[in-house]
Amino acid sequence: MMTNPTLWNYDLDDACYRVRLMASLSGVTLDLRSVDAFPGNEHLGDEMLALNPLGRLPVLEHGALTLCQTEAILLHLARIGPRGAAFVPSDDAGAARMRDWLFFGARDLAAPSQARAVAMLGAAGDAGALNHAARHGLRLLEDHMTAQGFRGQGFVAGARATVADIALFPAFALCRDFNLDHDAFPALRLWARRVRQLDGFITMPGIPDYH
Amino acid sequence: MPQTLNDTAGWAPLALASDIMTATSAGTVWNGDEIVIWRDSAGRVHAWEDRCPHRGMKLSFGFVRGDRIACLYHGWEYDSAAACRYIPAHPELDVPATIRVARYKAVEALGMIWVAPLDQPGPAPVDQTQVNALRSLQVDAPLARLTQVFVTHGLPGLGLVRDVVADGAVIRLTQGAVRLVAGLHPVDDATSMLHIAVEGACTQQALAALVPATAALRRLAETGVAGAA
Repeated sequence: MMTNPTLWNYDLDDACYRVRLMASLSGVTLDLRSVDAFPGNEHLGDEMLALNPLGRLPVLEHGALTLCQTEAILLHLARIGPRGAAFVPSDDAGAARMRDWLFFGARDLAAPSQARAVAMLGAAGDAGALNHAARHGLRLLEDHMTAQGFRGQGFVAGARATVADIALFPAFALCRDFNLDHDAFPALRLWARRVRQLDGFITMPGIPDYH
Repeated sequence: MPQTLNDTAGWAPLALASDIMTATSAGTVWNGDEIVIWRDSAGRVHAWEDRCPHRGMKLSFGFVRGDRIACLYHGWEYDSAAACRYIPAHPELDVPATIRVARYKAVEALGMIWVAPLDQPGPAPVDQTQVNALRSLQVDAPLARLTQVFVTHGLPGLGLVRDVVADGAVIRLTQGAVRLVAGLHPVDDATSMLHIAVEGACTQQALAALVPATAALRRLAETGVAGAA
């Protein structure tokens, strides 16, 4: 696995951004292959469906590996990157918490990404129901980060950023794209600021570069 | 005679002071009016209309540099008197003094940031009692409903509510050994916030343990309210 991983990438897709961000934080150089997901729908064409039958981005190829699940890609980058180990707790409890919040992001906080795709990228879906679900999920994360603040833990799984923070970050950072303001989420605002201050942080359209 | 908050009609608590860090900004809405609250790099708090006069972009999306806040769109910078001082597209321009953002008065008291219209004649809140910030809780219910649920149940599960005192835009109440103070913040006709703090000694561990009870208050206040989450 000496070659760089290849990311099949669409710049405005928040899941692709998570991969680029994790790679940057971990010190992994990606070879980017652009996919015209919107409006071109190239991710649904024969070439991309042969690679990922789910018809979804991101896809990461690395040697003989083809990975189609965002969280699995993030964990792989943290494992191979020279700075990646810092994002995976070495203690059992910390690692378990990281995975718990990773699955929270994949299952219980899936709505923000879908709501944004409906609002911006021509995806089909019930905007009202998705916005409602997105807000509910972000409230639960806000409740958690409020309590974490009193525990002296600035990130979702502990005092240090883990892969879970990177997986969850765009759900909040990009929620204005589907007209959900940050006003109701003071703890998430402070958390997002800490994520932005990580060494190697990069932005995407909708997440401005200013600190 | 010490000031009561009843003397400060027209002033509204819009945030917990500890939630607005130095050199950051946050947007909020007060009775339908969009307001940006920001702290300059010296820690002074400012509250303005949340709108850049250039293209109407929310200034709360922008960023603080020193004693100025800059708009995210085109980088127009405003000083602490809300006058535009720098336009990046015209760096040589002596910016006309007429380019200004509408301001509010802003002070800190009781661990909260209080805001009032510039022409508000009444005295500002001055209570500098140290409190333990708990959280700002946004609820999908009108303020009257949230207030009624709060004075009846406090934080649900913490025990009988006693010693309820309504003092201007603040409600104090006690449950067990916990003395709560909450700033009342109407967002719009259907949404409201409580800025909740604990008075007296309280450990960080005890504060963390109160967070689920604040979520229970939110659920209770939203029960039966049309359109609530």
